[in-house]
Amino acid sequence: MYIQSLSLRQFRIFNRLELELAPTTVLLLGANAQGKTSLLEAIAYLAVGRSPLTHIEQHLIHWDAETQGLPFAHLEAEVVRHTHREQIALAVERKTLSNGQARLQKRITINRQKVKRSALAGHLNVVLFLPEDVGLIGGPPGLRRRHLDDLLAQVYPAYIEAANRYQTALSRRNALLRHLRERGGDRRQLEPLEMELAETGVTLSLYRQGVINALNLYADPLHRDLTGGQAWLKLHYLPSFNPRRPPEMAYQPALMPEDVPTTSAAATLRVAYRKALVQHRSQAIERGMTLLGPHRDELRFISQERDVGIFGSRGQQRTAVLALRLAELRWLEQVTGESPVLLLDEVLAELDRARRGYLLSLLGDVEQAILATTDAEMFPPEFRRRTHILEVNGGIILPST
Amino acid sequence: MNAAVPPSVTELIEAFSQLPGIGPKTASRLAFHLLRGQSELALRLADALHGLVERTQFCSICYNVTENDPCPICADETRDHSLVCVVEEPLDVLAMERTERYRGVYHVLHGALSPLKGVFAENLRIAELEARVRSGEVREIILATNPTSEGDYTAAYILQRLKGREVRITRLGRGLPMGGDLEYADAVTLTRALEARQEL
Repeated sequence: MYIQSLSLRQFRIFNRLELELAPTTVLLLGANAQGKTSLLEAIAYLAVGRSPLTHIEQHLIHWDAETQGLPFAHLEAEVVRHTHREQIALAVERKTLSNGQARLQKRITINRQKVKRSALAGHLNVVLFLPEDVGLIGGPPGLRRRHLDDLLAQVYPAYIEAANRYQTALSRRNALLRHLRERGGDRRQLEPLEMELAETGVTLSLYRQGVINALNLYADPLHRDLTGGQAWLKLHYLPSFNPRRPPEMAYQPALMPEDVPTTSAAATLRVAYRKALVQHRSQAIERGMTLLGPHRDELRFISQERDVGIFGSRGQQRTAVLALRLAELRWLEQVTGESPVLLLDEVLAELDRARRGYLLSLLGDVEQAILATTDAEMFPPEFRRRTHILEVNGGIILPST
Repeated sequence: MNAAVPPSVTELIEAFSQLPGIGPKTASRLAFHLLRGQSELALRLADALHGLVERTQFCSICYNVTENDPCPICADETRDHSLVCVVEEPLDVLAMERTERYRGVYHVLHGALSPLKGVFAENLRIAELEARVRSGEVREIILATNPTSEGDYTAAYILQRLKGREVRITRLGRGLPMGGDLEYADAVTLTRALEARQEL
């Protein structure tokens, strides 16, 4: 698939942008703070309905829009797929209520039909690679969970639905746990919420296990290629609730526990997870939060018996995350039957010559890749001749002359 | 409010704006409407409000709003007192009564469980419902909380709480609205309608 046209209104630095894109490699060239990353962000935002860079969607609205009294941003893309084309649009508007409070309203449409966020799944697939992704491997586990969520959200509407329901039940249960701790009350109120957590939580966990198994198939050979055949890579999923492993046992980097495949049927898992939640109730009330479940899952990257997140050098972490991104690309191709749009932001600058060459050679495999860089010289001349070069300057994008 | 508006008007505007769905603008409009030569309406309104506070109370059986305790529905000998329809709000009783088909009695919870908004079991009339069931008069409970996630949560909790008691518990059926269009029904509603399909 590829993006044929992109239209942005009052999104970040872009006041008004109309851009035609070709099904090839597109090079965005410009100095810092001119809008290169924001353009990639806009595309990723259209793919999953949330920004890869910020939780605060108000920041996405152009800073002048507020003062002009029109606090909204509008994004629209024409996506060309093998069998058909689609129009995806997203509008964020800041509304001031009569009581003076502000509320952010988001409206998503596909082919001009209003849809829920979960309906975005499977319409535009992207693999985004940002310089800060290096921190994914060794950073807080929440980053890796969010990352898995966004990947699965691109393909499975059922995953987004389950994640939303899980989140509602979780915040309700946590509020109830704190209330029970401070004021007491009937603990049976927990039961329906625990049923919901078990129902949706096991769904999340199985999807995550599935995608990690699939990513492992691709990531290891890619990592070996990137390291000249020297180092293997394994993604290790550690569900916070695992019926065969006591939850107290934290991951020990020195010791590589055998993978525990979740072969037990989902129904059995749900019963076991619910039982575990009930068992941990007193502890949960004491702490005022739910201690068990997919919101505490962990994903580790293991190479040569070592945890890359803990023992890996920055270079090793960068290689691991590159292998992960490329594995995602392969996985999306396999499950959707089309190559996703590849978005790379300043990634080449951090890679050595051999890896840079390897990455560039893979660009021919996708229909469309959009690369942002401050320095065109980083690319070999014969590569540059095959790309469309666009110059980005203060929110204005023009073909390079 | 500035000094140009007398305090008695300001007070009324502020009181109006506490009401649900009424912002400061509507509140001012209502207040000035009453001020503008409509003293008869204003006094009628004042009487009605006074009556609301002075004469209404909760029925000691079903907790619906009433002027007499027990309420006319609970006092009606011709109704089936072993059949209890559990609803969130007094307005839901009105909706059920409009069907003119329901001949049982009610139990008003006064809300739905919502931990995030600070509404817990002890804030609703659930213990009172349990007491009614314990008295042995009730044969069937119809859970008619709203088909929202809070309503479903409340219904599931009441089910937990009444588990093991000698009472039949049913949930109001759900599905497609009359006069609706199948192609515009959302997936959740359709799924539920499919699950609850009936033999003809």
